[in-house]
Formats: sequence, structure tokens, C-alpha cells
Amino acid sequence: MTTQPEKLNFDVLIIGGGIAGIEAAINIANNGFKVILAEKDLTIGGKMLLLSKVFPTLDCSACITTPKISEADRHPNITIFTNTEITSIEKQDATYFKANLVKHTRFVEEEDCTGCQLCEEACPVVVPDQYQYGMVGRKAAYIPFNIASPRVATIDIDNCILCGACEKACPTHCINFMQADKNYRLIVKSVIVATGFKLFDATKIQRYQYGTAKNIINAMQMERLLAPTRPYNHVIRPGDGRVPDKIAYVLCTGSRDFTVGNPICSQICCMYSLKQAQLLMGALPMADVTIYYISIRSFGKGFEEFYEQAKSMGINFVKGKIGNITEKENGNLILRYEDVASGRLKESEHDLVVLSVGVVPNEDASSLFGDAEWKQDAFHFPLQKDLLFNPSLSNINGIFMAGTTTGPMDIPDAILSAGAASMEAIQYIQKTAL
Amino acid sequence: MKQKIGVYICHCGGNISDYVDVEKVRQAVIDEPGVALVENTMFACADSNQKKMLDDIKQQQLDGVVVASCSPKLHQPTFQSVVERAGLNKYNYIHANIREQVSWPHSDDKAGATAKAIQLVKAAIAKVRLAESIEPMQIETEQAVLVVGAGIAGMKAAIALAKTGTQVYLIEREHFIGGRIAQWDVLCTTDETGKELVTRLYNEVKACKNIVLFTGAEMIENHGSKGNFKISIRIKPRYIQKHCNDGRLQKAIEVCPVEIEDEFNFNITKRKAIYHNFPSEYPHAAVIDMEHCTRCGECLKICDQINLDQEEERLELKVGSILVATGFDPYEPVEGEFGYQAFDNVVTLPQFKRLVANSEHKLYWKGKRVRNIGYIYCVGSRQTNGDNKYCSRYCCTSTIYAAIKAGEKIKDLNHFHFTRGIRTYGKQEVLYHEASLQGQLFFQSPDDDLPKVETKNSKTIIKVNDLLSLNHSIETEVDLVVLVTGMVPRHNNTVSEILKIPKGRDHFFNEIHMKLRPVETVIDGVSIAGCCQGPKNVVESINSALSAAIKCYSLVSQSHLQVEPIVAGVDEQLCEWCGLCADSCPFDAIHMSQTPAKQTALVNEAVCKGCGMCLPVCPTNAIQLNTYSDPEIESMIQTLASDL
Amino acid sequence: MAALTTKKARILVFSTEKISDPAIDMAGLLKLHYPPSVYTISLPCSSSVKPRWIIHAFENGFDGVFIAADGSDCPYGESCTEKTAQIVRKTQEIMKAQQIEPAKLRMAAICSVCSEAFVKQMKSFHAYLLTQQTIAL
Repeated sequence: MTTQPEKLNFDVLIIGGGIAGIEAAINIANNGFKVILAEKDLTIGGKMLLLSKVFPTLDCSACITTPKISEADRHPNITIFTNTEITSIEKQDATYFKANLVKHTRFVEEEDCTGCQLCEEACPVVVPDQYQYGMVGRKAAYIPFNIASPRVATIDIDNCILCGACEKACPTHCINFMQADKNYRLIVKSVIVATGFKLFDATKIQRYQYGTAKNIINAMQMERLLAPTRPYNHVIRPGDGRVPDKIAYVLCTGSRDFTVGNPICSQICCMYSLKQAQLLMGALPMADVTIYYISIRSFGKGFEEFYEQAKSMGINFVKGKIGNITEKENGNLILRYEDVASGRLKESEHDLVVLSVGVVPNEDASSLFGDAEWKQDAFHFPLQKDLLFNPSLSNINGIFMAGTTTGPMDIPDAILSAGAASMEAIQYIQKTAL
Repeated sequence: MKQKIGVYICHCGGNISDYVDVEKVRQAVIDEPGVALVENTMFACADSNQKKMLDDIKQQQLDGVVVASCSPKLHQPTFQSVVERAGLNKYNYIHANIREQVSWPHSDDKAGATAKAIQLVKAAIAKVRLAESIEPMQIETEQAVLVVGAGIAGMKAAIALAKTGTQVYLIEREHFIGGRIAQWDVLCTTDETGKELVTRLYNEVKACKNIVLFTGAEMIENHGSKGNFKISIRIKPRYIQKHCNDGRLQKAIEVCPVEIEDEFNFNITKRKAIYHNFPSEYPHAAVIDMEHCTRCGECLKICDQINLDQEEERLELKVGSILVATGFDPYEPVEGEFGYQAFDNVVTLPQFKRLVANSEHKLYWKGKRVRNIGYIYCVGSRQTNGDNKYCSRYCCTSTIYAAIKAGEKIKDLNHFHFTRGIRTYGKQEVLYHEASLQGQLFFQSPDDDLPKVETKNSKTIIKVNDLLSLNHSIETEVDLVVLVTGMVPRHNNTVSEILKIPKGRDHFFNEIHMKLRPVETVIDGVSIAGCCQGPKNVVESINSALSAAIKCYSLVSQSHLQVEPIVAGVDEQLCEWCGLCADSCPFDAIHMSQTPAKQTALVNEAVCKGCGMCLPVCPTNAIQLNTYSDPEIESMIQTLASDL
Repeated sequence: MAALTTKKARILVFSTEKISDPAIDMAGLLKLHYPPSVYTISLPCSSSVKPRWIIHAFENGFDGVFIAADGSDCPYGESCTEKTAQIVRKTQEIMKAQQIEPAKLRMAAICSVCSEAFVKQMKSFHAYLLTQQTIAL
């Protein structure tokens, strides 16, 4: 069942609906330009929407993200496509780009879904919930999470058993198993790539036992345990549901590490670990939290003060790189490390280990550009052609980059970079219009 | 008072009607005063119902509408747009939330839920009965932006704004543009020099016909607010009228008898009272430093363009928004801090950068050959005893890069870094690695046991207890000590007082929200860019400049600004001007106004954000907020309480 | 009489559009129950509640008034926490003068995802107000 792609015109295509993409979209739309924001996931909001609190203000992350999301959602100049992939982008001449998009089916008529979750209740299939990083289950008919935007249901067809229970339960009859993917052909004047970053896959460091030892989680999983939309109502260790009381953080997991091909510093892990440690001190007042580090990089506005605060709260800091981790029979973990203070190899036991995984590039966009080569820097981030003068410019004129697309950065830096990309895109559009 | 109110009660396909007896709700409100029609609907948001509402409003000439359905966050805009399409002002629409706040949380108590729904719908009717049409306010905007500070951030922002067609005024307090980067040598990580970057920016500034650049110009006053700032500036004279030909100028400089320390080179060199920064500074025009000029008249004899009696000018600029990019000062160590000014071979990082920039092949300081350099980090940053608790962010990378670059230029240098933990964040990390591979040595002192600079037998020694080697005490003999000084806010920066920009604990300018609104300030129409907000490197400054530029552009890209009409209003009769409302306003929107009869408070509607913080503080209850007036709120309270 | 048979206490909540409303909405979404005699009026900011509105609520028969304050999340600035607290202090003075138990006015910061906190507050406030009714009888 192939249909002719629908043709659409916009001023700017923004790829990626995380916080940088949203900020860029609002910036551009506020100046009267038409924007299409294309997001691969079922919801916009990116990783920020899933975080617990943010450093160093300890604002609740979801609380400050949702107003931006609704601003974008409501904006008359912004069209949001979720569950959408870009298949190609071709530069036509100095004035426009052609892009092909496919909006994948949800098997749900988005406009009619009221988000009542009755389909979710009716669905008999349970699979791991990717938004909770696999820590709990979800149904095959599901809404990603309560503050998802759009807050509409999706049928996960790969896991659906086609029992029809959801169809019967839906009061608006919006579930449609015949719904097909929809193709679009876009004409846009400029493109902003805001595809964000990926988390380092800790299974690549086998000596840390991530994925084999039950009570080792990554920092994003800890974010989920602490977030307002958390999977359990408590911080518990996944192995046996016990409340942990001796927690270790392993900084620089997958960063500053030539052996895993990532020599650079991820720039956010020190701070998010300090933040999580502080939140844990609040959630589990009796717990012992130890941070194993090479050097603490609290370099941003208010960060050093935040580090001092963490020290004064009684969080333990141990300077030393973790060599390996082994699991005991009771699920506890033995960390072997070189203690810089004493110069000795030491071991310590913890009942929950959090790996502060780093930032690695998201290379998904690199294959989109056909003949125009999408160049990368030495670290596989897209090349910033004129770093000091025009940091958001890619090697293709008219294509700009926002947020962690170009390298690790924290939220305010991502917002600044999105501002830069949007300002450059507006200038580019107006220049080519002349 | 509304006479023909239409009320629509939504089943939400059972989400509401399973727990709330919607028919009972309909019956209960049908006789409320002013209600002309009550309908139950399966899905209020469905197209079919929207069309029905539209027809009802037109055919029955409804003057107010209530929909009781899900949270207003979801569909209030939908229904506001329906009433607007039907020709009603959107403020004649009131939403009642009977799903998220009734049927769902009270699914355990159907009778209770139904009773609550009735009260909420009645209260919405009570409010809509009093609702008035309000038109969004338009304020005429000056389609121009003032950029304060012509460093890299200010220039980049000015160029970006100019390229959108906006009129830009760029003012620089100094006589030369380029700010701190003009003083910097090689920049990481592209090897471009500060001078080159500044040249590119300046050439673009000059190429933009809609940028008017004033050097020697300082803001002295502001009247006005978002959309319409009236800024007075003072322009200091250069005392050189037109272009003095280069040869003559050189001679004039030679004959000048006054010699003072050159601030451009951080006082490591001297200059005359008539001077320019460096051979190709911008603008390419010399200046007489009147503070130090003795008016001897020697230069006058050589160049007829010199006029020692040139007077300062004053100008008024009208702009719609302001971008502040006033930069930073390098921290100035106090006397004796790590030997600063106590020993003559202790310099700051900016001085070291100037020294290397002005050296070739060999490095000399005060006539002595320099081979061993000791860098002491975090001077003026991360202070345990001083006020500067913050990390200055740029300095670790900058120092390592400076050392690598100095090593490329001058072959026989040895570098010793006395750090408190290197913070080469992000991709900059590879520089740290590179320096280590080159054999540069790094030591780390404990936070409470900083390095000491001493002299022994006329040799300079840096002593440190090194955390990286079991706290061993290490003594290193060096020829030059470089103090890695951090960034501090500009001293005597009057812009913040004039524009009322708040400062943070670190005394840098404060943004409105640290995470999501890093360039906007609480003063509407004023944004901040670059290091005046906090330490940044070049890329971060450029990003923040462009971010601030787009925020400014949003305010001036249209000739009129649409302002939310929900604003506070003062009843002049009741007001006895006491100033409490003005004090309570976080946006400086309320000022005293003198009428012939009396003094009253006056709300600047362009600036008021409708938060209502002024309402409870008024001793005479003279302030009301649109759509939240006493009659509206009190009638809702009364209605909600009437379920006895 | 009515209060005795139905055993309910009516609470008026002043909530805020950007911060506490979303939390109260989410309490519904999560099907967290609290007494249906809790009614909400939303305002732009919790520092905009006039003491006379609170008094008006008591005069018209509300048993308690709760301000779901923005706290440090207030979009209008950091001063909000202190200003809301000031309103509460000021109103409680008036309440004392009018012989209304000052504890019948409560305030707590409710962030935009503080649904559980809101429900907890409502339950305990409701329970407290019921004990006050018994005493009054």
C-alpha cells in the first residue's frame, strides 16, 4: 500500500525534539518562521524530560521542561512530528533542501486519542519499558509516560498479539490496525540537526560487569529511580529489591578512556553524579555514598559551590580509578581500585554500583545527506567547520547543529548552542531570500 | 453581565461520565442565572462538537461559553479558538476541569464527584457571567537593538542582528574594539589568534551598513522599557579629529614626553599618552589619554588633526531591546599572593600570553632568560578563604594550551603545572593528554594546602605537597611563575545599575533561569551575553551571544509587540501611593505617577507580566488583575461554597 | 448539621497555573484519591492571593484554605516563597482577630509534579479540619 508522499513546505526542519531542538524551534517560530520539528521517539522532550532534578539548582527537571514543551506544542508556527524518521536530505541549491520523512504508524488516530489509558489496562502483553531503562514492564498498547507529549497511545506492533482487547476498550475507537506509515516530502530552507547524544554502553567495559552483575546500574537508570515519574516509589537495587545502603559511583565510565575509543571528557558526569549523590542522601539518609573519581570537574556557574555542598553533606570522595568490579554471592559488589592518596591497590564492598556513563556521539544523522559528505571530527562528532566564529555551522552550508550533537554539554550550554543555531538559520534564510 | 451563556459538559467517552453523573450536572446548572443552553457531549473536543458550538454561538447569539471537560492545559486553547472563530472574544470562555480534578481523583466516590463537578461548573458560570472582552495589547516597538560592549560576544551578536535587517547600535567603552580576545594570542583549539578573530569580526561589523559603532561610548541613563528604551550615551573624545597620517602620528607618539604602563599589554610594556593599542588596532585611529596628557603641546606641532579641547558628545538612542556583553576582568592578585609583586618574576596568565605573543625564539623576562616555567592554577578562583568560590572554567585549558603553544614557538622551555585538579572538560581533554605526552609535569595540591612561592639564594622555588605522589613535598626551581588568574566581573560596570540587572552570589550578572533561560534577565528586553554572565571560553561566548541576539530579535522583528492583556490595573481613586506595590513587583513595572490631584501608582502594561504579586500588598485594595478581579474570584468562592 | 452527617470539610485550594495545577492534574491522572470537597481556584502565582479572598472563603463556609505555593519554582522570580509566606502571616493575623483558628489556613510548596505531596497535604488537612468540626460541636 504505497501512497504518494504528501508535500509540505517549511522554513526550517529541526531534527530532534530534545531540549535543544525545542529551544531552537521556539526561537525560530517566535520570529515568524515556520518550523517542523521531527522526532524519532514517541514523545518530544528528549533525555531531559526523563531526568530527576538538574544541577546545581536542584530544580525538578520535568517541571521546567514541560512548560517549554507546551510552548512548542501550542506554537502556531511549529509543527511537531513524533515517531518520525528522516530518510534523506538533499541540498538543492543555495536556497532550499529537499527532505523525505516517514511518520511511522502508531496504529492509533492521534487526534482522537484522549490519553485515558484504558487500552493500556486492557492489553495483556507486558514487555520491558524502554523509558524506565528496562527496570519495569509496560504494555504493548501504551503511553510512554505520564508527561509524554503528545500524550497519546501507541501499539507496539512487534510485541502485540493482535487480541483486539485495546480496540474494544477504547472509548473513542481511535485504535486502527490498518493505519500505515505516512511519507512526506519536505521543502525547507534550512536544517538544524539536534539529534543529541548517546550514552556510553557500559557493557563495553567487561571488567565492570555491567549487564551481568545485577546490582550495577548506569546513571540514567539512577535518574529514573529518583525521578518524579519513577518506576518504583523508592530507590531500590534491582537485584533483590533491597534498599541499598552503601552506594558507589564510578566516574569516567567510558570517558577519558583511550581503551574504549573515547579519550574526551564527557563534561556532565561529575555534576550529575554529585547531584544524584545529594538526592540519595535525601532519599536514603542512612546510606553511605562514595564517589570514585579521577578529578572532579565542577567548572560551570554555581558548580564549584555545589561540589562544596556535596562534600559538606558527607558524601565520600575517593580519588582513584576503578580497575574491576566483581559480584559476590549476596549480590554485593567488590570494587578494586588504585587509591591515589595511599598509592595502594584497595578493595571496597558496596551493595549498589552506579556507573557514571559518558556521552558518545549519535551518528544516526550522518547517512542522511546523500552526495554532500557529512564530515566528522576526530571524536566522531559532526565537524564544526568554523569553530570559533560560527560554532553551530556544519560542513554543509545551511545545515546547523544544536545541543549535544556537536559534543558533550550540559543543559544551559545546549540551550545556548540551540540559540546560536537558530540565529544562524534565520540569518541564512534571510540571506538566501535576498 | 452575561445573559446568554452556553455550557457544554463532556463525557470524555466514559472517562468523566463513568464517575460523574453528567446528566445530573446538566440539570443542576440549567437554571443558573444567565445560562441559555446546557449540552452534554460525548467528546467536547471532537470536530463535530466544535462545529455545534460554533453554530450555537452564532445562531443563539451566546455571549459566554463554559466547557466542562479535561484539564485546561489540554483543551482550553481549543475552545478559546472555537469562540474566537464564532466571533466572540476569547476571554468570554471559561474552562471547568472535571476530569483531572474530578472524575479521576474521585473515582472512588461517585456522589462526591458529581457534587464537586456541579460546583465547579457553577463557579465557571459565575466567572464567565462577569467576564469581559479584553483585546491583546500592542506596543509599538523601536526596531533597533543596542549592543553594549564590542568584544567578540558583542560584535558577533551585532553582526547576526544586522544580517536580519535590524538596526544595531554597538557601543564600546574603550577606544578600541575587541575586548579581552584582542589581547589574547593563540586561541584554542583552532590556532587562530585573538587578533585574527577580532579582525574577522570587525570587518563584518564594518561591512554591515546597519551597524553604527561608537567607541569611547558609555551608557549613562535609561528611560523606557521593553520595546521602547531611551538610552543616553556619552562619547569620550579621542582628541584627534580625523585621520592623522601614519608617519606623522608615529612622530607625534615619539615626541610625547609622557610614558605610562600599557594596559593593553597588562602593564608589562609602556606606552605614551598619545597611543594606539597595536599596529593594526580597530578602529585604526589613535587616542590621547587625557588622564595622563600634560598638554605640553609637542604633538600639536606635528599633527594639525590633534585637538586637545575636543568635547565629549551626548546622544540618545531609541531601541526596542538591549544586549549586554560587557565581559570580564582578569583577576588581579593581591600583593604577596603567590609572590605576586613581592618577587619580580611572578606574572599573571594574561601577562604571560602577551609576553609570549611579543617574543620570538627565546623567552626573556626582565632581561633574564626563561627556561623553567611554573604555573600556579586557580588564582582568584575556587578560593577557600576569599570571596571567589567559583571555578573560572576557561583557565585550565587555556594554560595548558598556552604552554603547548609557547613550547612550539620557543624550543627550550620546561613546564611545571601546579594544579588543583585539571578541568579540561569535553574535547579539550586531549590537550591535557598531549601536554602530558610532551613531558610537561603536573602536580596537584590539596585544597587546604596550596603551593608556596619562595626564594632561596636568589632562586625562585615553588613548594607543593603533591597529592599525585603520596603527598610528597616537592620543590621546583623556576625562572618564571605564571599565576593562572581567573575571571572576575568587570569593575565599575555601571550598566547593571542603569538597567537594574541583578547580580548573583558570584557578582556576575544573573540570568532569569540558570538552566533554561541563560541569556534573559528579569528586566524584559535586556539580555546578557558572554562573560558578563559568568566565565566562558570563546565558543561558549559566541553561542551565548547568538542566543542573546535571537532573544533581542524576537522583540524587534515585528513593528508591534503583542503583550498579554492580563495585567494589573490601579484604581486612581483608591490609590494613596505608598510604594508597596512597586516594591513587590519583580519586574519594575510599577512607578509613581503624578497627576494634578495626587500621586498614584501606575502600571507599565508593556512590562507587567500579570503575576499579581502586587495585589495582596496594597493597603487600600486599589489594584486589580484582569480576569482575576475581586468580583470574579469572590463570586467563584461564593459559588463553590454554596453546596450546603 | 450537614457537616456532622456527611463528615466532610470543605477546602479551598489556591493553585497556580504553571506550577501546582499540573501537579493537581497529575494526581487525577494517577488516580490518587483525596476528598472531593477540595475545590481549586487557579491563579497566575501564589503570591497573588489576597487575604480578603481567604477571609471571604471562611465567611462563606469553607472550613479550610490551602495555598499550593510555587516556592522556588515560581516563574516570576525567587521572591515568591517569601511573599506567599508573608500573605499567610498577614492573613493569619486577620483570622486571629476574627476568631478564626489560624491553622485553618495552610500553605505548602507544590511543584509541578508534586502530586503525591499534594494528596498527602489534602488528606491530612481534611482530617485536621474534621477534628476541628467535632471540637466546634
